[in-house]
Amino acid sequence: MNGMTEDKAGRVLEVIREFANVGAGNAATALAAILDIELVNEVTSCNILPLSKVARWLGGEEQIVAGVYTQLCGDLKSGILVVFPKNSTEMMLKHMTKEDVDLANLNLIQGSALREAGNICLCWYLVAVSRMIDTDLIPAPPDAAIDLLGAVLDLPLANLGAKVDTVIAVHTRFKGWDSEFDGYFLMLPEEQMLRVILEKMGDGSK
Amino acid sequence: MNDPTLVGIAQLAIAKAPEQLCCLGLGSCVAVFLYDPELKLGGVVHVLLPKAPQNHEVEEKYADTGIRKLVGQLLARGAKKERLRAKLVGGAQMFPNLNLQITDIGAENCHEVKRVLRELGIRVVSEDTQGNRGRSVVYNMADGKALVSTAFAPQHVI
Repeated sequence: MNGMTEDKAGRVLEVIREFANVGAGNAATALAAILDIELVNEVTSCNILPLSKVARWLGGEEQIVAGVYTQLCGDLKSGILVVFPKNSTEMMLKHMTKEDVDLANLNLIQGSALREAGNICLCWYLVAVSRMIDTDLIPAPPDAAIDLLGAVLDLPLANLGAKVDTVIAVHTRFKGWDSEFDGYFLMLPEEQMLRVILEKMGDGSK
Repeated sequence: MNDPTLVGIAQLAIAKAPEQLCCLGLGSCVAVFLYDPELKLGGVVHVLLPKAPQNHEVEEKYADTGIRKLVGQLLARGAKKERLRAKLVGGAQMFPNLNLQITDIGAENCHEVKRVLRELGIRVVSEDTQGNRGRSVVYNMADGKALVSTAFAPQHVI
């Protein structure tokens, strides 16, 4: 974060952790219902990263992931990307559809299930963010892709273009009784959105 | 042989045989490879967007300014423009069903790359572009070949 002292960055991260925990908790409850398993969740890390570091934080451009992406429709603009690693995606889709999963060729139901799982996660995180900054946030219905991580990140980066270089990233581990999976929530706010978030997080002097 | 040099988003690199250059996980980005077969000298620019705005900081981020910079650097290293040939990889549409006013940036990138190359009189000899799959590519300066890999299909050479 340019121009932010370590102290401030630490405080902002604290607030991010707070909304991340609320969002992840809600997402876990909702996912548990559609997966039909008991789930607990743990927010393992929160971060504020420049765009160029995101791929490495997520484990490298060449790994295969599922990405569910959308944008906010209101006055405040932001890209929202939920990323599930390959194994997590397979496990989740298998649970949801009770069918074998071939990530190279998802059938219609599985594609839809993936979009829905992503939608549920991103909406619940957004609700948490929305309450925290006391502003309505309306996402468009998302689309999903299963591909190389670098490729999945391209469009979100291109949409931000030259404007901002800050990504809010949260990693959550969802644990069931015999399985666990990971979800990454990435928020790519445009300038005004980022300012609002930082202000409401008690960093108004920035 | 040494590992290929990674060319990230909005980066540009020049290399000569036996070196290799690579770009990983290209989605809507385009990797533009220009090669002078006589010198076995080539360069790659990994562009994110088609056209540079008025006041841009990074030339390598945009197709129009990035390609011109790449050509300039190759000519400065002794390449001849009439010998240069181009190979293009990337420009996919990763989220085709997003129903917003998001245009197909991958297609726009490809379009702009080709327009600029045509303007400069540089021929595109092969390409693996658009569609909706991500790609990684390794460019070999020894023979000017490009090895393209995708998430689920076998590798192929263009």
